[in-house]
Amino acid sequence: MDILAGLIQTAFLAGGVLALAALGEVLAERVGVVNLGVEGLIALGAMSAVATVVGTGSPWLGLMVALLVGLGAGMVFATATVLIRANQVLCGLALTYIGTGMAATLGKPFSGSPVPATFDDIQIPILSDLPFFGRAFFSHNILVYVIFLALPLALHYLMFYTRHGLNMRAVGENPAAADAAGIPVMKMRFWYTSLGASLAAGAGAYLTLSFVPSWSEGVVAGRGWIAVALVIFAGFRPVNAVLAGLLFGFVTALGFVGQARNWPVAASILSMLPYLGTMALMIVPVITWQRMRRLMAAPEGITQPYFRDQR
Amino acid sequence: MSTIRLQRMPIAPARIALVLRLLSVVLALLTTAILLWATGRDPIALGAKVLSSTFGSSFGLEDLALLFSPLIYCGLAVAVALRIGAWNIGAEGQFNFGAFCATGIALFVPGPTWLMLPLMALAGMIGGALWILVPTLARAYADVSELITTLLMNFIAMLLVYWVATGPWLDPSGMALATTARLPVSVPPIWGIVHWGLPVAVMLAIALALVFTYTRWGYEVRIAGANPGAAAYAGMPVKRQLIAVMLLSGALAGLGGMMEAAGTVGRLQGGISNNYGYIGIMVAVLARAAPLGVLATAFFMAVILNGGIVLQSQGLTTHTVLAVTGLILLYAAIGDEAAHYKILRNKTGES
Repeated sequence: MDILAGLIQTAFLAGGVLALAALGEVLAERVGVVNLGVEGLIALGAMSAVATVVGTGSPWLGLMVALLVGLGAGMVFATATVLIRANQVLCGLALTYIGTGMAATLGKPFSGSPVPATFDDIQIPILSDLPFFGRAFFSHNILVYVIFLALPLALHYLMFYTRHGLNMRAVGENPAAADAAGIPVMKMRFWYTSLGASLAAGAGAYLTLSFVPSWSEGVVAGRGWIAVALVIFAGFRPVNAVLAGLLFGFVTALGFVGQARNWPVAASILSMLPYLGTMALMIVPVITWQRMRRLMAAPEGITQPYFRDQR
Repeated sequence: MSTIRLQRMPIAPARIALVLRLLSVVLALLTTAILLWATGRDPIALGAKVLSSTFGSSFGLEDLALLFSPLIYCGLAVAVALRIGAWNIGAEGQFNFGAFCATGIALFVPGPTWLMLPLMALAGMIGGALWILVPTLARAYADVSELITTLLMNFIAMLLVYWVATGPWLDPSGMALATTARLPVSVPPIWGIVHWGLPVAVMLAIALALVFTYTRWGYEVRIAGANPGAAAYAGMPVKRQLIAVMLLSGALAGLGGMMEAAGTVGRLQGGISNNYGYIGIMVAVLARAAPLGVLATAFFMAVILNGGIVLQSQGLTTHTVLAVTGLILLYAAIGDEAAHYKILRNKTGES
């Protein structure tokens, strides 16, 4: 029982990175832009957050800087893909390379050293004293509650219960029709793509300021790509995306427990679990649930740049 | 009174695309130079140092050739897949697994050298093809994006290689930390430390160019990539071609891995792929998926990579090169789109 509580606790901690990055990607993909630069954005966010905390000692400032860096990088990406309408796959890969490379270069001075200040766990009064549930659900740092509760619910409400959300989805499904209805397609795509990038960089800050409290070159380790895959698995829905992130946090946690308890499996093999799991999640449901395929389908206009004069 | 107006054409003229491609490379290098200058380094002196250490001595040229060769294999792998409209982002993993399979044969199967090398090459190719098999079938039969699945396989392959090199296959002599023993057979050298991997890669590029230009199969692959619906309507086996091309793509990267393990490095070690697979994507995209173009762009990227080793001595990391690569890719993508536009001058008063 105690192991399970610990597992769930670690699952939230580890899954937060994937969940937040996936939320950002949901925003971009819902308006029709695939951002494959998540991996690079997480690296940039993680590095700039640590750099800020090393300089100022404030994790909140670190998070803010990471979000702003992500927003800036996202605006560059959105300028290329939405305004100039360059190929989204190429620009996304480019962003991954640039982000990973720049983060490694600029982060070299403090690579490997522990972060001076991180987000501390909050013990929620009374609830955190509950036997099992206290440890599993009610003694996390504040970001965990934002990522797993506040943000997905807010985004879900925005996307499915407001006029603005309807417009947003229309832009992703059929930009020409949305344009005809007077929705500012380009503006919508530009800002939601940038905002999504900002969240991805925020996931990087979360990674280095609460989960792995230090920066090093390989710290992102493909989490950005897993997040992109989770968005597809989650059917482009914010609540599902967060749950998928939690599931993968659990898989990661399982690997940790395996290492800590000396399971007769090599650490490298256990580290493969999240990647193998993502592969399985991308392929198996599509084969087994034919009906789900339509329900969870990608927005119709995804990856397609919008040209008003070529309707 | 005349106004200037942009008109988008459905097809970009090849000549303009090529010019913009070159321009994007120049712009990326210029951006890098400005960034280096802004961080207090002298870009011109660094550039001169990169060129002189690369082309100034036979050692430099040999190093360049050793970088050139894996980039051709990976570039060809990505290019071949692009021909049929598939993104093989997993050349890195196929390279690793190809090296893994070839090493397995070399370490555990005894035999004469003349037999071993072809056997290892075959193992490398089969390994590479196996590593892309699941993403291929998922794309062909369930329409799962191969872009992400091939990429995820990279991490699995790298962890696998790291695991065997530090665990089961660790050099028993105790002299090395994270590598297998030296392989008993190696690809013979042709010039200095440059081995036969390079000429084989060049020949493969030429052969693929001939296949795509002059054979019916190559033609059909191109059509299936450009318009799968039309190809299927014309009676071409689109699905079978997709599978064949993607497996070929994996095999090419796997062969590159075999050459790296049995030629350049001489053993299997963690991180043997050295980002070649990722930079191979660049190589293929810059070459617009043309096999002969891959030779030119792989050479260019090899110079950039070699430059990265010089930059490393200036307090930068090898990853700096990755950022430069990304810049080139970003500008190239923008240039590709810009090539579609034609500038029109029209008189406003008349219409």
